[in-house]
Amino acid sequence: MSGFADVEYTGVRELRGPLVVVEGVCGVGWDEFATIALDSGERRHGLVLEVDRDLAVVQVLEDTAGMDRTGTRIAFSGTPLRIPVGAGWLGRVCNGRGEPADGGPPVLGATDTAVAGAPINPVRREPPNEPVLTGVSAVDVLTTLVRGQKLPVFSAAGLPHLELAVQIAAQATCGGEAFAVVFAGMGLTHADASFVRAGLAERSAARELVLLLNTADDPVIERLLTPRIALTVAEDLAFTEGRHVLVVMTDMTAYSEALREVSAARGEIPARRAYPGYLYSDLASLYERCGRIRGRPGSVTVLPVLTMPAGDITHPVPDLTGYITEGQIVLSAEVYAVGTYPPIDPLASLSRLMRKGAGAGRTRADHPDVAAQLIAALARSRQVRELADLIGRSALSPTDLRHLDLEDAFRQRFLTQATDENRPLDDSLDRAWDVLLTLPRSQLGMLPADLLDARQAGAQKPGEAP
Amino acid sequence: MTAPADALDPVRAELLRAARAEAEAVLGRARADADETVRLARGTAEKVLAQARDLGAADGRAAATRERVRAAADAWARELAARAEVFADLRVKTRCGVRQALVDGALPSARFAETARALLGADARITAVQGGGVTAEAPGRRLDLSADTLADRALARMGVRIESLWERP
Repeated sequence: MSGFADVEYTGVRELRGPLVVVEGVCGVGWDEFATIALDSGERRHGLVLEVDRDLAVVQVLEDTAGMDRTGTRIAFSGTPLRIPVGAGWLGRVCNGRGEPADGGPPVLGATDTAVAGAPINPVRREPPNEPVLTGVSAVDVLTTLVRGQKLPVFSAAGLPHLELAVQIAAQATCGGEAFAVVFAGMGLTHADASFVRAGLAERSAARELVLLLNTADDPVIERLLTPRIALTVAEDLAFTEGRHVLVVMTDMTAYSEALREVSAARGEIPARRAYPGYLYSDLASLYERCGRIRGRPGSVTVLPVLTMPAGDITHPVPDLTGYITEGQIVLSAEVYAVGTYPPIDPLASLSRLMRKGAGAGRTRADHPDVAAQLIAALARSRQVRELADLIGRSALSPTDLRHLDLEDAFRQRFLTQATDENRPLDDSLDRAWDVLLTLPRSQLGMLPADLLDARQAGAQKPGEAP
Repeated sequence: MTAPADALDPVRAELLRAARAEAEAVLGRARADADETVRLARGTAEKVLAQARDLGAADGRAAATRERVRAAADAWARELAARAEVFADLRVKTRCGVRQALVDGALPSARFAETARALLGADARITAVQGGGVTAEAPGRRLDLSADTLADRALARMGVRIESLWERP
């Protein structure tokens, strides 16, 4: 390669599926980005999967359909994929490799950055704090998302995780500070891609969103680039432009399956369920790119969404994700079966950093106590429900019956909300109080007495006996 | 002489009075019931009306939001299309400019051959390209130094400066 022109290699030995085997190459490295020119004038792109002496195996992002051995020329860029970064990404809709899909010009930026990125130096990390509010009661109150956190959504096929991801991406805010969302869709059907575009149109038109859509029929190698491009764009928007950025990545299981396919194409030894042995470190290389950096403005918060095949939480993808991330939001088929949206299972969900993002000066002073009490009460409700299944409802104590009422009230008054309902935090917390006050005061021992007095006084109508 | 009083008159009178009183009471209750029914019906009607107003207002707000979002999205799509048009126009002009510059001798043609041989070797086969520049070929390798390729590369190097075409000064 030179600054003036790139040498193109024409010695295509073989075209096999999405792979091109080129001979006679010199100085080409793994993961190097390649541009492939066809006789028709069309240009495609690829990544180097394997190099052996003067042979290079290139995986073509747009597939090899229509290519022939004699009319194909391949130029190597000398580096892994780099993309321009900057505010020019805001409002753009691109495919999974960052090319415009919205009819606009190419995305331009002041600098080019390698998409492979690098995790933040641990000694320069600032601990996450302050919340990202999503407008979804169950998330904001019970599993508060904190700026700089990585909090995955664990779902299963058939559950509305995409709806929830889109709702969060459309509604999330950072208390009036500069904010942006980068949404990376991987392996989406065209219907899902269209749903995402429609659901995020307002945020996109407001130039607060970067949308990258890799569809199910796109080549798998592109799926490996999509989250890396998303994170590279997000890092610049956060640490250079000073925004708080939420990166929503869905579906990480589709990403992991792409990784498995590429690994198989590279002839690597398969590990658990045929995923490559480096699945853990590969996922960590994505998730660990979130955070806050000392002395820099902004933050990158990551919300990966993954589907657990057959609902199996021990599957390698959720299992390894759980090791890296800081909690999880679990969607439940049982909750969804009774018609509740979002079908979040509050007892299986947890935000490990919630204490850093909730409470006085961050959300509301009563937030941590209310959340803790609600979780405790719901745990007791679940025990009571199981007991009622065994001994019958009539054998339950009045307090137990109130706990059953609390579970219903929780689902109807707190958990359930429309897919386009952006619920303010105060409203969500007030609803949580309403639910809690279905219990007698003796069962609310985790709440400070003065708060309870004030709430109970406010909840009683004038003239009503206490 | 007065007519003899009917001994049953007081009874009759009392029965009449009682019947009237009862009728009055029944009538009063019926009126009260009717008033209550009317009041409840009015209350229900007001509630239904308020609910309908709320639903109508919510529908109206939703429709207005949809319309606003669609308008904003359409406007942004048009702006992007206009930017793409400007960008395409710039590319055409850049290509024309580079072709013209080569015709005007901005770069000696020998320089192309030198570059090609430096990159591909002394035995590279060099072919002049219509529109300016050359392509060079050696076994297994090729170099495109045509005017259009050079123009495209120059455009790519401009990066974010191109945005000055559509950004407000």
